[in-house]
Amino acid sequence: MRRILLFMLAAAAVWGSLDVSVVRAADKLRVVASITDLKALTEAVGGALVEVDSLARSTQNAHDLEARPSLMIKVRRADALVLNGLDLDDWADVVAQGANNPNVIVGAPGRIDASRGILVLEVPRTRIDRSMGDVHPSGNPHYTLDPGMAAPVTQNILEGLARLAPQHRAAFERNRQQFLARLDEAMSRWNKLLEPYKGAPVIVNHNMWVYFLTRFGLTQAGSIEERPGIPPGPSHLVKLVNQMKENRVKVIVAEPWGDLKLVQRVAQEAGAQPAVLASSVGAFKGTDTYIDWVDSNVKMLAQALK
Amino acid sequence: MRALLTLTLVLGLVAVGAAPARAQDAEALRREMEQMRKQFEAMQEQYKKTMENMTDRIQRLETQPQPTAAPPTPATPGRENGLVQAAPGSPPYTGPSPLDLVKPREPFALYERRGAGQLLFDMGVTGDFIGNLTQSNVEKNQGGSFSGLENLFFPREVELSFFGQIDPYARAEVRVETGKDSRGGDLTVNLAEAHLTLMTLPFGTQLRMGRVRNRFGLLNELHSHDRPFIDDPNVLVQFFGREGLRESGFEATWVPDLPFYVQLLGGVFNGENEVAFGRNTLRHPLATGRLRTFFDLGDFGAIQLGSSIAAGQTPEQKQSNIIGFDMKYKYTPTGWQRALFTAYGEYLISLRRALVSDSDGNNNEERRRDRQGFYVGADVRPFAHGELSKWLLGFRYDWTQYPVNPGQEWAVGPFIAYYPSEFLRFRLGYKHTERTNCCSYFNFADNGGSARRVDELFLQATFILGAHPTHPF
Repeated sequence: MRRILLFMLAAAAVWGSLDVSVVRAADKLRVVASITDLKALTEAVGGALVEVDSLARSTQNAHDLEARPSLMIKVRRADALVLNGLDLDDWADVVAQGANNPNVIVGAPGRIDASRGILVLEVPRTRIDRSMGDVHPSGNPHYTLDPGMAAPVTQNILEGLARLAPQHRAAFERNRQQFLARLDEAMSRWNKLLEPYKGAPVIVNHNMWVYFLTRFGLTQAGSIEERPGIPPGPSHLVKLVNQMKENRVKVIVAEPWGDLKLVQRVAQEAGAQPAVLASSVGAFKGTDTYIDWVDSNVKMLAQALK
Repeated sequence: MRALLTLTLVLGLVAVGAAPARAQDAEALRREMEQMRKQFEAMQEQYKKTMENMTDRIQRLETQPQPTAAPPTPATPGRENGLVQAAPGSPPYTGPSPLDLVKPREPFALYERRGAGQLLFDMGVTGDFIGNLTQSNVEKNQGGSFSGLENLFFPREVELSFFGQIDPYARAEVRVETGKDSRGGDLTVNLAEAHLTLMTLPFGTQLRMGRVRNRFGLLNELHSHDRPFIDDPNVLVQFFGREGLRESGFEATWVPDLPFYVQLLGGVFNGENEVAFGRNTLRHPLATGRLRTFFDLGDFGAIQLGSSIAAGQTPEQKQSNIIGFDMKYKYTPTGWQRALFTAYGEYLISLRRALVSDSDGNNNEERRRDRQGFYVGADVRPFAHGELSKWLLGFRYDWTQYPVNPGQEWAVGPFIAYYPSEFLRFRLGYKHTERTNCCSYFNFADNGGSARRVDELFLQATFILGAHPTHPF
């Protein structure tokens, strides 16, 4: 018995000393982002100094992703994990745990919460429970859809990357400033394009567009999903169609993974136009960068509002 | 008239005399106004500058990460709040060393993830209720899938779970459960699971210790309410008993750095399971092992393959080994939030030595018993959206030998499930079982009657209240 204990102690000591002697040879930081929007923003900040992959595919609903072992493999070797937070990507915790990678578990320096310090919309002010559907107790988590949020989000990413590679902080800052300058330029273009429709009421399918609509002065007048994550009942749909007719709502904004047949049907009943926008970077062809993605959404929305 | 003329004259004189004085006043007024204008412009300029400064400050603050809980005095240089802070020029963080692990440390700022008034861990309640109907002879012989609880509606498992991060290095999970075990018996409260997992061990290893549902095969680690079928597969019940393999001990996992997913697991446990092992001592422990791998098959398909082993001793000090192979396949096309099609299967081999008596119950002899069994099942969710997406159809086929006694049984059972939401589920199922011999480990035929052909109707209601840990694939 004593010999077994001694052997175990010796093995633990060797294991630990091997770990201390680990030297990282990779030049680039290996970063995994939970969603493609954050992948794009991390690439914008990290540039050639990072290698970024994302867990969710651009066409997937990121609310409830399955923690597949193939995702764990992506995280297994990661130096950093960029998370959306606000309860959108809680599944990433299971992925991080299954990856056996201490760099990215809760509390590790490689864990980057992109939502820190942002102005969160729709934070519940009253008692919430699941009779309200799949509500997010920390507020609406879809802030990456708002290009105005790119500044604080990229700042969080920058801080996270600089924590792991402080020698590259200046380069990350330079990349970020260049990206924000390009974004500012595009923003004035987008504002101009949607300026004529300020205040226009819009219906959404899933309640994920509020940041995007608010940024450009449009009003979210209702949603097809009566309660998040629960298919709507017929009485809600009848009420919604009447409300749309009354308020002359022209557009229903929907995400590619939503129930598009239902969106089409409601739009037809109410005499409105469905606008299926890219819910994540890369969801449609030509939306592979953050700016291209927002650009595509703004143009499609403006076209639908005409 | 004279008076009028005098008044006019006086007023005229006053007016003529006052003209230079008014001009002087106007000049003074203009100067004063000019001075005021300058003062106002200076104030305006100052105000503008102040506003600009404040706006800049707000923008800076907004773009900076929010401060977390007040940082305590760093315990050691380079550490703050228990977290390693990278210093300029330092190499990337590679996890805490064994020396770090043994040092006493302060809890780190878990508060940053939580708002005021929230708990530092998650908790949830799940309830799983079963109703079943079967033949009276099956009830008499306790030969149903829920042995001893035939023709009854009962709480199978009501569970209170707590889980979360202990500190930067470990997380814990505690589950307390109650449920009905026998027709007349009271509800008993059990510690279903209580374990901690060390997350930051080197080289992709983790260590779990405590009371666990062993990661043996596909279903054993899942609690009853999380399983894809209403009742448990016959082979698992015959080889491990109704409780499954639930042990106290240690379990280590390793995920090697490979291009595809492989998880290796090794464990040492007491051997408490009375059906398969039961020696219940670390001097002759139950050793477990598992190899699990996974492959994506295109964008929509995925398959997991696994192999498990559990080797221990029975109370009679006889060797008992169980080897298992498992497979799970899922197909989730675009638009389907849950899998459109899922297939499961496990094949188990039991290799054990047992004391076998003759028909009179005498002359116990040691005999080798090599037995096997399997189940396959599948479910399909035909619709992606709308009301119909809440429905799921499934079935399972079972075949197994009894681990010690002679004989075998097979069963087939279709079921239908309705999910009003992610947190509520109803299932209705039918199961037909046929047995060649009477004696499974339950000895259900000892009190007369056959129960060789069993038809059962099941109703299950399951709810989740509060948090529930996400299960891997």
